[in-house]
Amino acid sequence: MGPSLILRKKVNPRWGFSRGKRLLYRLLGAPGTVQLLMGNEAVARGFLEAGGGFASGYPGTPSTEVIESLAEVAKEVGIYVEWSVNEKVALEAAYGASLAGVRSMATMKHVGLNVASDALMSIAYTGVKGGLVIFSAGDPSMWSSQNEQDNRIYGLISYTPVLTPSDPQEAKDLTAKAFDVSEAFSSPVLVISTTRVSHTRAPVTLGQLRPPRTKGRFERTRGLTLVPAVAREQREKLIAKWQDITKYVDGLSPFNRVEGEGRKAVVADGVAYVFVKEALSELGLDGKVKVVKLSSPVPLPRRFTLNALSDVDEVLVVEELEPVVERQLKELVAEEGLKVKVVGKELVGLPGELTLERVEGAIAKFMGMAMPEPPITKLDLQLPPRPPTFCPGCPHRATFYALRRAVNGLRIKPVYSGDIGCYSLGLYEPFREQDIILEMGGSVGAANGLAQTLTDQVAIAIVGDSTFFHAAVPGLINAVYNRSPMLVLVLDNRVTAMTGEQPDPGTGLNALGEPAKVISIEEISKGVGVEKVVTFDPFNLKEATDKLMEALSYVVKERKPAVAVARKACALEAVRRARRRRVKMPLYQVIEDKCTACGICYNAFSCPAIMVRDDKKAWIDPSLCVGCGVCAEICPYKAIVKVVEEGEGWWEAWE
Amino acid sequence: MSGRLNVVMVGVGGQGLMTAAKVLADAAIDSGTKALVAETHGLSQRGGAVEVHVRLGDVYAPLVPRGRADVLLAFELIEAARGVPYLRQGGVLITSDVLLRPPIPGVVSPSRKDIEEAFRKAGIRYFVVPAREIAEKVGSYVSENMVLLGALASTGLLDRFVDISRLKARIAEMPMADKNLMAFDEGYGTCSKLCRLSD
Repeated sequence: MGPSLILRKKVNPRWGFSRGKRLLYRLLGAPGTVQLLMGNEAVARGFLEAGGGFASGYPGTPSTEVIESLAEVAKEVGIYVEWSVNEKVALEAAYGASLAGVRSMATMKHVGLNVASDALMSIAYTGVKGGLVIFSAGDPSMWSSQNEQDNRIYGLISYTPVLTPSDPQEAKDLTAKAFDVSEAFSSPVLVISTTRVSHTRAPVTLGQLRPPRTKGRFERTRGLTLVPAVAREQREKLIAKWQDITKYVDGLSPFNRVEGEGRKAVVADGVAYVFVKEALSELGLDGKVKVVKLSSPVPLPRRFTLNALSDVDEVLVVEELEPVVERQLKELVAEEGLKVKVVGKELVGLPGELTLERVEGAIAKFMGMAMPEPPITKLDLQLPPRPPTFCPGCPHRATFYALRRAVNGLRIKPVYSGDIGCYSLGLYEPFREQDIILEMGGSVGAANGLAQTLTDQVAIAIVGDSTFFHAAVPGLINAVYNRSPMLVLVLDNRVTAMTGEQPDPGTGLNALGEPAKVISIEEISKGVGVEKVVTFDPFNLKEATDKLMEALSYVVKERKPAVAVARKACALEAVRRARRRRVKMPLYQVIEDKCTACGICYNAFSCPAIMVRDDKKAWIDPSLCVGCGVCAEICPYKAIVKVVEEGEGWWEAWE
Repeated sequence: MSGRLNVVMVGVGGQGLMTAAKVLADAAIDSGTKALVAETHGLSQRGGAVEVHVRLGDVYAPLVPRGRADVLLAFELIEAARGVPYLRQGGVLITSDVLLRPPIPGVVSPSRKDIEEAFRKAGIRYFVVPAREIAEKVGSYVSENMVLLGALASTGLLDRFVDISRLKARIAEMPMADKNLMAFDEGYGTCSKLCRLSD
């Protein structure tokens, strides 16, 4: 204990700061200092070092922390930061700010760029004024996504230069650099990372912060109005511009560079570089193989690459996901008639994120070496899986429970058209209430077609509040317009929960935590012509079941769409709010004598706070229970009771 | 600094793995050692299994390959067992004695005894730390992560990479610094006899 007393004397001024304040300290640290930054925080710092003034984005793993970090420091540095309703609007808004001369950035996950791609294709044609950077974070191996598309390909189809950092330091430096490139060529620039850059924390040496420019003036310019005659001109200019950009990236040092010497070379782009570097060291090949490190995979720097490969016989391209560099390189080699053998994906493989083993294996094969394989210890033990589940007190669990009761009560055959969010977990036991999961807003769109074609089944679209605002509203309008008999069940937990409880248009707060207008899901639904709209509290199971039966009966009888809104705050957020307001949390416990070990609470409701004892009776872990009380409602033997009363203001925390 | 230390932390979402990893990495950087921390995010937050890789020293790649972790620091016993393939031959497993049964209907879970028996059979060097008991003694069940960090420090494996006084200075910056420091010291003290490895 001795040393702690000494330490106490030089307690840092950071002591006792909130989480936000600690981030502020890291993100706004002095130039030249080294901070442990997550890749996404480093992108945010890069934006600040470039004098960025406008940042917009839609949450999505693994991209979310860029806007979160910028929102934390927005007031301090005087920049504009918003959570946009979706990625398309985020990019369009950033474009608008760019046209006013403000350096702007739009952030999103890889699939978010699909939503924003319509805007991107046109912005490439018009060009930009203030630097415009699109930060897109990919998710190879799909840790939290529906696909693992490679967004570098968007650079190829839109003629947008792509920069790919290999680590958090480069994430910062390349983001700042991207603004210069964008302004130099009047072109949007894509900065693309993947999980192991975005979500890796590493030491980052900070640079100078530039005072942001946050206001500007729009000047009317030919080329911004893409009617066919203008678009044709812009297309010609775009192709010419691409030649200039291709020459420019030849000199993108030190981000593009050559290390070591050899007749064999490894070309590595983005995060592949750090795996290659360590793999070479592990294989004892340090300095014996030429490494061509690329940070600009699109367009491939032609002159730089030709020079680097002038004395090389064989090349291995290591890149994550698609052979974007490999194909361009093969094309270049063919065009120039070079005698270089290029290999890549046949040794590295296509699916999944890169790992050290994988890159070592590819390099070992390329070098004709044996791959060292360390022995792996395996246990003689069957382990139960531990998939993610609804949190204790999650209102979605109660809604899915009520929905099943309503469906069974009416004896209808449901088709659950699911969507992207925490509620996707309704796919698993014991609920099994997600039959399809496609993309953001897809639940409502797909339900339209199901509703028009199913005979004895009923289409039920299940969508969260943030996803509803994001892309489901046009699907709902379509359902009214074309009279699709379907239920749209909106699980409104007041935030974008899956990505870490960011505010959305229904929350009543903006990205900075300031009050904002609450946009009503019911009013939108009525406004577009839905005639049956019900709202219920999922923690009141009887009311929830009745309201769902009412809405479903309407759909079946009237053959028209209905909307049901389940409204209760995300449990993580509600508990956090109650703690902040110092409101006492209630607690429930099982009366041992009354419990018959029927298992309804832990099997059919399946709350992680309810444990099974050896005698199959239930036991509630007080460290996990958040006092929602729904288990007490479902217990047929009244064996679950409240043992600690809630403090005043408890239910307000769940609004 | 030559050489590397590969630490894989495993546990269940919400157990404070990320906080422990960040504190350790910050202290490493303060001690002049390069540190990389890679986490799994998103769905794993919802009570799923969580892995955090901490690499110290001469490192570039953010992930520890299977069979190459010097230390497996487990916050839960089932996850400890699941993480075993990460351990290199001669690596060390430090695990909390907490066992959390996955909340899946009808799940069959091995007992504490079964798991320890499997560790023994596989010939793994392992230490079981009464993390919850110590954290409760300190008066903060959320400080289990600091107990385990203390246990890790007591092995001496960090010594070449992290200055323990700098590690404690970083813990002193956390909210509830007193309790977290006590948890660290208790974890260190309890395990220094148990886990100290001969250098």
